[in-house]
Amino acid sequence: MKGMVFTELLDMAERVIGEDGVDEVLDSLDLDSGGAYSAVGNYPCRELMQIVGALSDRTGLAGDDLQRQFGGWMLQRFSRSYPQFFADKTCPLQMLDAIDNEVHVEVRKLYPDAELPRFVTEWLGPEHMRMTYRSERPLMAFCHGLIEACMAHFDARARIEVLAAETGKAAVFDIRLER
Amino acid sequence: MADAAVPRREDHVSRRRYERERRAREEAETLLEQKSRELYDANIALTMQASELEKSVERRTAELQRAKTEAERANAAKSDFLAMISHEIRTPLNGVLGMATALSETELAADQREMADTILSSGNALLGLLNDILDLAKIEAQQMEIDEVDFDLAALVGDVVRVYSVQARDRGLTFDARVAPEASGPVRGDPTRLRQVMFNLLSNALKFTERGGVTLEVTRQAGLWHLRVRDTGVGVPPDKQARLFKAFSQTDVSVTRNYGGTGLGLAIARRMCRLMGGDLVFAPAPGGGSDFTASVRLHAAAPGHKRPRPQRDEALGVLQARPWRVLVAEDSETNQKVLRLLLRGLGLRLELVSNGERAVERHCHDPFDIILMDVNMPVMDGMEAAGLIRQAECAHGLPRVPIVALTANAMTHQVADYLRQGIDAHVAKPVRKEDLVSVMAELLSDQAA
Repeated sequence: MKGMVFTELLDMAERVIGEDGVDEVLDSLDLDSGGAYSAVGNYPCRELMQIVGALSDRTGLAGDDLQRQFGGWMLQRFSRSYPQFFADKTCPLQMLDAIDNEVHVEVRKLYPDAELPRFVTEWLGPEHMRMTYRSERPLMAFCHGLIEACMAHFDARARIEVLAAETGKAAVFDIRLER
Repeated sequence: MADAAVPRREDHVSRRRYERERRAREEAETLLEQKSRELYDANIALTMQASELEKSVERRTAELQRAKTEAERANAAKSDFLAMISHEIRTPLNGVLGMATALSETELAADQREMADTILSSGNALLGLLNDILDLAKIEAQQMEIDEVDFDLAALVGDVVRVYSVQARDRGLTFDARVAPEASGPVRGDPTRLRQVMFNLLSNALKFTERGGVTLEVTRQAGLWHLRVRDTGVGVPPDKQARLFKAFSQTDVSVTRNYGGTGLGLAIARRMCRLMGGDLVFAPAPGGGSDFTASVRLHAAAPGHKRPRPQRDEALGVLQARPWRVLVAEDSETNQKVLRLLLRGLGLRLELVSNGERAVERHCHDPFDIILMDVNMPVMDGMEAAGLIRQAECAHGLPRVPIVALTANAMTHQVADYLRQGIDAHVAKPVRKEDLVSVMAELLSDQAA
């Protein structure tokens, strides 16, 4: 898993529980990396799930809620670091449509070894999309948070329904924009 | 209070230092992403460039291939044209030479004889030129084939030497021939081509030599027969030696003007030597003059060596031994006339028909001693007629009549076909009297005995 996910999770955690809190969480875990992450490195997904679990314990926030919040954090981070992907989009559904077709294409150029989730989209109307998430990792809630934040980024309101979810690794999101 | 909060130096870093390190890490990460991206772009550019290069190489290769094919096609068309036009010229020349031969055998006044002789020698020179062009066309079309027949090398060299001794003596030159003793006895190869090579080298040597003389040496070295011709003539200037064996390139236009010739002879001779498993090379002779060595591979004669063709007098003797009945199938009236004139005075009983069907009818009705058969005839061609005659002989238990094909396009591979189709021998057109007489005598000699 890309190091950026780790560095961003720890940045977000720092906002909530502070530097000392993050240090304590990392010290409490048995991590191969020792908790030292670089955005351009690759680390086992197991470590992310360990950190999410420990943060959940410490904050009392459910793991899925934490993931969902983290999804929102990541979208903001992406929009700051890679504004070019957002610049030509006028609607959040276009942005979601572009994840597989544009964003991941570029990611693979930089990191040919990246193991990326799939975001298969299907337009059901100009303001209605069905997006199927499929991943090796149980990050369905993270994806949910990402979708919500994407709506917010474009100042859009939407009804997001999870139609089918299995073991957190795959889900179908039904997204309908609301005026 | 503030002092107590200050961490000890060894296990704490200052906030400023921590922020700096963190910024440095983030910058390194950004830099790495940029560089990765640049590397990716460079890689893509290189890949595209490589594929463009590959495409342009393919394009260029295809263009060259096309150009080569076109050039080859043009060259083949040129060779075909040369062959066709030479062949077309040979047919009327057949008439000219035949008539001139016949004419020179009549009672003539001295000046008339000189005229007839001039017609004959000019015609023969023209024939030689046409043959050269046909040979070259055949070589270029890779249709030149080398015969495999038994012959006596020493006898062949002897014939050639006799011709050129006379010419050398006439020009006040010496001609010295040394032939290795092992050249006597039968060998297997292509005597016609070998004679052609020797003729070419010896005519050149005599042509370019004003004083001194010419030597011919025939030896056997390392499985190859070497025919070495040296002269004391003008030689070949060093800067012209590279072009010696190139077709259509006499070393100098002045050579053509002063000595004649087409500039094809050496090119043809070399290709023939190479087809015969050897080569033709040039070396300057010490003290001026030229030194050509032709090498060829000759094989052992097949067991049961065929009797050599009868000599001229002997051949005439065979033809005059009795009034042979000769059937001539030939559609061209000119050629009929030529054959009639060439065979005149031998006491033969000639019967002429103008197609293959008539030939079969006539022969089956009243068998002949020998048949001269043109190959290309209307109604029924010579090959088909020969086949039917052979069938009829089998069916009725008749003796096998010798059939001689008269071939306008004497290509070796076609001759081989003719021989398979019931033909016993062939004579190339324009028909020369000596050839015809000799072939007919060979085929009739068993019956004459």
